[in-house]
Amino acid sequence: MSETVAIGTPRPRAPRPEELDLKFSESAVAELDALKTHYPDLKSCILPGLWIAQREYGGWLPPEAIAEVAFRLNRSFAEVEGVATFYTMYNTAHKPGRHMIEVCTCLSCHVCGAYRIVDYLEEKLGVKLGETTPDGMFTIHEVECLDACDRAPVLQIGDQYVGPVTSEMVDKILDDLRKVETPSAVQLSDAVVKVHLRDGDK
Amino acid sequence: MAEMKLLLEHSNDPEYATLKGYLAKGGYTGLGKALKMERQAVIDSVKASGLRGRGGAGFPAWIKWNGIEKEITKPHYMICNADEGEPGTFKDKELMENTPFLVIEGMTIGGYATQSKVGYIYIRGEFVDACRAMRKAIDEAYANGYLGKNILGSGVDFDLYIHTGAGSYECGEESALMSSLMGERGMPRLKFPHAPLPTVAGLWDCPTIINNVETYSCVPFILDRGGEWYATLGASTKNSRGTKIFSVSGHVNKPGNYEVEFGTTLMELLDLAGGMKGGMLKACVPGGSSVPIINAADCERAIIGYEEMAEVKSMVGSGGCMFLNEHTCIVSFIWRTAQFYANESCGKCTPCREGTKWMFQILDRIVRGKGQPGDAELLVDITKQIDGRSFCGLGDAAAWPVAGAIRVFPEEFEYFIKNGRSMVDSAESRAMAPKWAQPAYS
Repeated sequence: MSETVAIGTPRPRAPRPEELDLKFSESAVAELDALKTHYPDLKSCILPGLWIAQREYGGWLPPEAIAEVAFRLNRSFAEVEGVATFYTMYNTAHKPGRHMIEVCTCLSCHVCGAYRIVDYLEEKLGVKLGETTPDGMFTIHEVECLDACDRAPVLQIGDQYVGPVTSEMVDKILDDLRKVETPSAVQLSDAVVKVHLRDGDK
Repeated sequence: MAEMKLLLEHSNDPEYATLKGYLAKGGYTGLGKALKMERQAVIDSVKASGLRGRGGAGFPAWIKWNGIEKEITKPHYMICNADEGEPGTFKDKELMENTPFLVIEGMTIGGYATQSKVGYIYIRGEFVDACRAMRKAIDEAYANGYLGKNILGSGVDFDLYIHTGAGSYECGEESALMSSLMGERGMPRLKFPHAPLPTVAGLWDCPTIINNVETYSCVPFILDRGGEWYATLGASTKNSRGTKIFSVSGHVNKPGNYEVEFGTTLMELLDLAGGMKGGMLKACVPGGSSVPIINAADCERAIIGYEEMAEVKSMVGSGGCMFLNEHTCIVSFIWRTAQFYANESCGKCTPCREGTKWMFQILDRIVRGKGQPGDAELLVDITKQIDGRSFCGLGDAAAWPVAGAIRVFPEEFEYFIKNGRSMVDSAESRAMAPKWAQPAYS
């Protein structure tokens, strides 16, 4: 989406197999094992595997997380990294703040005043789009169409859509979020992993 | 013609999302009838209905179903394309959240007709609520013998899995979706005639059927009431049959999903959505961001239908209908459209990867008041170099709205380029513009 990593941004090298420090919890390993039965090959588990990793590693995918997914699915680091960096919902560039507020500014939201919500968020939090507040509480992002145009302008926070949003609502949303401990990226990743699993898998 | 609710008839009833409520409203009679028919008869029924793909392209659904091999040499797969990403569209989300059993039944019927034992629903990662509704419905269907082994004692097996995306518009393209399902970057693959159709070699090189959520949701009704009955809906149009859900948004009083019969006029759709808000109708994007914009005069005469919409040089597309009022700056609207495609181009082929970026850069400098003489012609030239030359439809879809807007509203582009400010300046248009673009509207 609009936030891109500049070409040449150094990225830590891939961990070597002997350096791997596996962090998946027992339940995460069980989830990944259940997912393996959904597809005829292991490669298809890369996307759901990355969702699990994003939850297990606290809401983002550092190289260690990618290495662990690669190790568990018997793929190369480069292949899994290539997949992870393609999709915008995997946070590969940096760890986001505890709560990610994603503002849709695409067509319907644009004509319904989404840029005023962006202005308000930027002013209230003192950061620009793509940045994290100094206390590490909030990261604001601009996203492309969330397909909730009937609720424009719309925000996504964790797995929830909020809209139509007004500046007064933004105040309340921010106050409520300060009390929530679970990082929104972890909550979202967990929700996504859960919907993959059938009753029989759980 | 008023609203014609077929798929959305019970969408406000929470019971309909449960198996019990679905059965009480006549659910699964279509599957019951299909299982007693020959496989070919099911496909013929879909053929008779004239059902065309609801994802945007309008490709006849039966051709895909009929194209799959009749003698099994490899496993067959069904995919439901629920990677709804087209700006302006939110119909699949509503269908999955409120009528999940329609999707499951439609896929099961398709699975029977095409001898597929496994189906995947590829849902975009943002739609967690839709995923949860589908998950609940699938688990319920499994528990009651509507999915899994030996469905309803017929000896037919069908397994259904959910696979989510992770944020990529490109994955709505069928071959990119299959790449993504196979654990790759969501990039499109070579297509017919250079490569076999997905019905021959799709997912894991096996015969694969891929249809949109709304297309599958129509199938239970077709099997229940007959293809001939379905074909009577929309009979006033040239070749569009049935109903279509339009996601109406923008400057309207009651944005939301409205299901209408083909042959309804665009203005009737606007009336359903409560009419315009905040000013007169200026323009409309009738089928999602990819289709060319039309002006108010064309809106007056536009009839909803695949061929009919072409008469006003636009398309039905995915049904993401955005109405814009008189205060909307078309240049700014198209600038934002171009930004969307520049961000979402997957980068595989040069015309799209570079072209979408160039279009955005040129529109960006126009909106910043630094447009240069000849920029409009330059944009048109770039659209011609993308359209038809990109690897998949994303390039075409990026070029059409830009070319269309310059054709329909040339004066707005010329004015913006010449004067460095928008032709539409009012408090309302200023309220829509980004902070840095405010000088062009004051």
